[in-house]
Amino acid sequence: MEKILEVKDLCKTYIINKRQNNVLKNVNLTISRGEMVAVMGPSGSGKSTLLYTASGMDRMTAGTSLFLGKDMSRLNENELAKIRLDDMGFIFQQMYMMKNLSVLDNIILPAVKSDKKSESRAQTAERARALMKKLGIEDIASNDINEVSGGQLQRACICRSMINDPEMIFADEPTGALNRTSSEEVMEELCKLNAEGTTIMCVTHDAKVAAKCTRVLYIIDGSISGELSLDKNKTLREKERELNNWLLEMGW
Amino acid sequence: MYLSILKKDLKRKKTMNCILLLFVILSVMFAASSVNNIITIATGLDSYFEKAGLTDLFYIVSYDEQGGCELYDKVIENDKVSDVRKEECIFITSDCFKRDGKKLYDFTSTAFVLSVDNTKINFFDKENEIIKSVEKGKVYITNSLAKKAELTVGDRISFEMDGTKKELEFAGILKDAFLGSDMMQNYRFLINNEDYKEILENESIYSKSRGAVLYVSSEQPEEVLNDTADTPNIRFSCDKQMVKTSDIMALIIAAVVLVVSFCLILISFVVLKFTIGFTIAEEFREIGVMKAIGLKNSSIRALYLVKYFGISIVGAVIGFILSLPFSKALISSVSADMVLENDGKLITGLLSTAAVVMIIMLFSHRSTAKIKKLSPIDAVRNGQTGERFGKRGIMSLSKSRLGTHPFMAANDVLSSPKQYGIITLVFMLCTLLVMILSATATTLMSEDTVELLAVTKTDVYISDTVRELDIIYGKKTAKEQKEEIEKELKENGMEAKVSIELWYKIPADVNGEKFQITMLQNVDADMEDYVYTQGYAPRNEHEIALTGILAKKMGLELGDKVRLTVNGKEDEYLLTALYQSFNNLGESGRFYKTLNIPDNSTSSAFAFQADFKDDIDREELERRIDRISELFECKVFDASGFVNDCTGVSQTLGDVKNFLLILSMLIIILISVLMERSFISKEKNEIALLKAMGFKSRDVMITHTLRFMITGIIAVAAAAALCVPLTHLSMDPIFAIMGTDASIKYTLDKLEIFAVIPLMIISATLAGVFFTALYTKTIKAQDTANLE
Repeated sequence: MEKILEVKDLCKTYIINKRQNNVLKNVNLTISRGEMVAVMGPSGSGKSTLLYTASGMDRMTAGTSLFLGKDMSRLNENELAKIRLDDMGFIFQQMYMMKNLSVLDNIILPAVKSDKKSESRAQTAERARALMKKLGIEDIASNDINEVSGGQLQRACICRSMINDPEMIFADEPTGALNRTSSEEVMEELCKLNAEGTTIMCVTHDAKVAAKCTRVLYIIDGSISGELSLDKNKTLREKERELNNWLLEMGW
Repeated sequence: MYLSILKKDLKRKKTMNCILLLFVILSVMFAASSVNNIITIATGLDSYFEKAGLTDLFYIVSYDEQGGCELYDKVIENDKVSDVRKEECIFITSDCFKRDGKKLYDFTSTAFVLSVDNTKINFFDKENEIIKSVEKGKVYITNSLAKKAELTVGDRISFEMDGTKKELEFAGILKDAFLGSDMMQNYRFLINNEDYKEILENESIYSKSRGAVLYVSSEQPEEVLNDTADTPNIRFSCDKQMVKTSDIMALIIAAVVLVVSFCLILISFVVLKFTIGFTIAEEFREIGVMKAIGLKNSSIRALYLVKYFGISIVGAVIGFILSLPFSKALISSVSADMVLENDGKLITGLLSTAAVVMIIMLFSHRSTAKIKKLSPIDAVRNGQTGERFGKRGIMSLSKSRLGTHPFMAANDVLSSPKQYGIITLVFMLCTLLVMILSATATTLMSEDTVELLAVTKTDVYISDTVRELDIIYGKKTAKEQKEEIEKELKENGMEAKVSIELWYKIPADVNGEKFQITMLQNVDADMEDYVYTQGYAPRNEHEIALTGILAKKMGLELGDKVRLTVNGKEDEYLLTALYQSFNNLGESGRFYKTLNIPDNSTSSAFAFQADFKDDIDREELERRIDRISELFECKVFDASGFVNDCTGVSQTLGDVKNFLLILSMLIIILISVLMERSFISKEKNEIALLKAMGFKSRDVMITHTLRFMITGIIAVAAAAALCVPLTHLSMDPIFAIMGTDASIKYTLDKLEIFAVIPLMIISATLAGVFFTALYTKTIKAQDTANLE
């Protein structure tokens, strides 16, 4: 399978009050096209830092991160911005959106900015509406962001991350701020997207969420200490049981 | 715990607190300096006159050939007069003082040389100290002349009159409360008594050029003026009110300073109110958390009030210190010719500062009332998902044809109308101030304003003082002078029709009430060439026109008759027209052109006017002006130059306009920087989000800059639309004091008002915002992971 993200000896060090804090220590990781990889670990283990440095959003201290063969550590801010706009999608734990735009406008904003597709603004809006329909939020297109629920807003964020047909979606605890029902709905949508071919890297501390992925990485103290591939043919319950057992072994 | 929360707040919200502190400093600085200036200007003139020792009535009188002064004898015997002071002086013309063989300055009116020992009022030096002595060989000169002649202390100048020569050294400027205004333009040269006596040893000067200024104290100045109306040799007479009004040109600048001061106070309070409200609104999370842990509304409110009080006190101290030089800079253009001092400026400044602190606390008290409305849920919801926000978006990106940057900028502006509305209002006020001043300065330099000087518009105005005085002294007739000038012009290939406007002091009688009025006549001008506000131009020798102000003063209306004594013969004249003019501060009249008045009745003369017989372009006109100036060794102007020379304020007004433009730009830059910085602080989440989505720093900067550009464009467009009506509203009353009684037609420098000023204001805005927006570079896409 084609490698979409290849991380080698990735290190990230923060200096706080003249004290060195090694958040990531020589992390190696490969994600192939079509995979849905969950990153788990205790708080402060470096999960989100791995996601942001591997995606090039944050600068790494050492190592390389090859996204579609491009070394993210060698690209400048503008080149990284271009990749984020056209080839990556981001979903955050908090449903950050532009306050002065409607839900639909928030979704189409990256597409309007990007020159990846040569289409009219009406066509972009049409695509966004189709995405919203797919995620079951077509009714809130013209609503302000303060008029919709958290689950709807996170699904809108997923639509926004998908609007430029990215090669890969990076999700940082996408269900962290949602209740159980909303959380399941959002994961359902991410699974659907993955089934349609979108590669996803998802940071989570929720085993139920991770169980829906194809592979789970366990990170502790800045290093990947274990990896579990989940069998596609097993039921969700079986996968959850297998994952829980493995997590116990890892010291979860 | 209380102090610890406060300490933490001051540290963590450093940027917003610093911005608030800067606005407090600005407000205190503007308010303290402006209130000081307002008081200085409002009380300054009376205080200046009192310090100078001005009386109720003034005469300038020339001695008769025997050295007698009939007026003095008459005044001293008048039982309505309580005191008379006679200040002897020598009447001179502009060619009496020279530097390096050339005229010091080509002034058109009579000037006076006087001895420091004979002064009957106080003259002040640059430091506002009374000039009590002048060293032998030195001379103090009226400030406005010294400025025009670009004199610096120590410059050598020579006095030369009827064969007497004297070398003098310029000792400094003098401030003259009676004749020092731009409108009077009668300059005085204050010298040592020995030097004065040496000059008077010249028989010709002693017998022909001596005169005096009479300072008269009386409870009934108008009646004394009327009683002395027919006394010979009076060159000029006026009451204290007229002297006061003659300072109007300086007071125009003062009025401008007042308007600027009021606007600055308004601007600072508007901005302050907005900033306090804005910072409180941004505190919703902290307030929510404090409420969630059980703090009472009153405790939370007290916390913020203490914080704002602390910031106000620090800002007030700094602002007050800065207000002292700022106030001085604002008023410097007014106080150059006068002694304008507010003795209690420290107390006024401190009181204003205290008032600003109180107002800030009032704003804070009102703004913190919102604390009651904020609930703990605001903290939990983080404002992004809660009910806190009302409907925001106005435009639709999917329907808009605008590019991403303009769309986002326009949408932000429309989504926060109050926030951007206040910025627009502040920018508009700053722009309007400069535009109004530009319109006024341009009007006072415009050739159209020549009609307000009660002269006709001609190609050139030849300001030959010597020839004018020759007419007044009867050495030559006006007809002879005009023919000589015409002849010389013709010989030099500039054939022209020359005329001159002569002024006469005419005794008038309206139903037994006596007046001495100033009448004008130009025997070569068509009566229809003058502009009248009412009635029709006089059509025969028994018809006259008067200014509206003089007619009102004399109790006359159109169609009324007045008895005037012309050349010793009293006759009845019909008032057929009213006009307005700055001349004699709005009090003058006009005879029909053919009425025969002997030249020896002339009290004053305007410049010789020449209309060329051939059609010439601007370039040729300028060449001829230079040529005539060389030929007659005097100043020659076109119409606009003549207006400029007569009003004498346009240059100062232009300087004030430029100062104000710079001040406005600085205020706009400051407000743009502070506002943009506070917006960046407020919108950190959104900026990080945009970058995480793939927007570049440049995109964010462009959007932020465009938001202010939209605001700036709206502000300058509104200011341009309001410029004319507001110029009428603010400047008409000031021109009315100068002598107009109808609306003025303002001349606009379209390029300056509709292009240069807007461009400079918008550029200042953009520069301020763009450089502040560079700060958005420090907000990274990864900050989305660390946002609160």
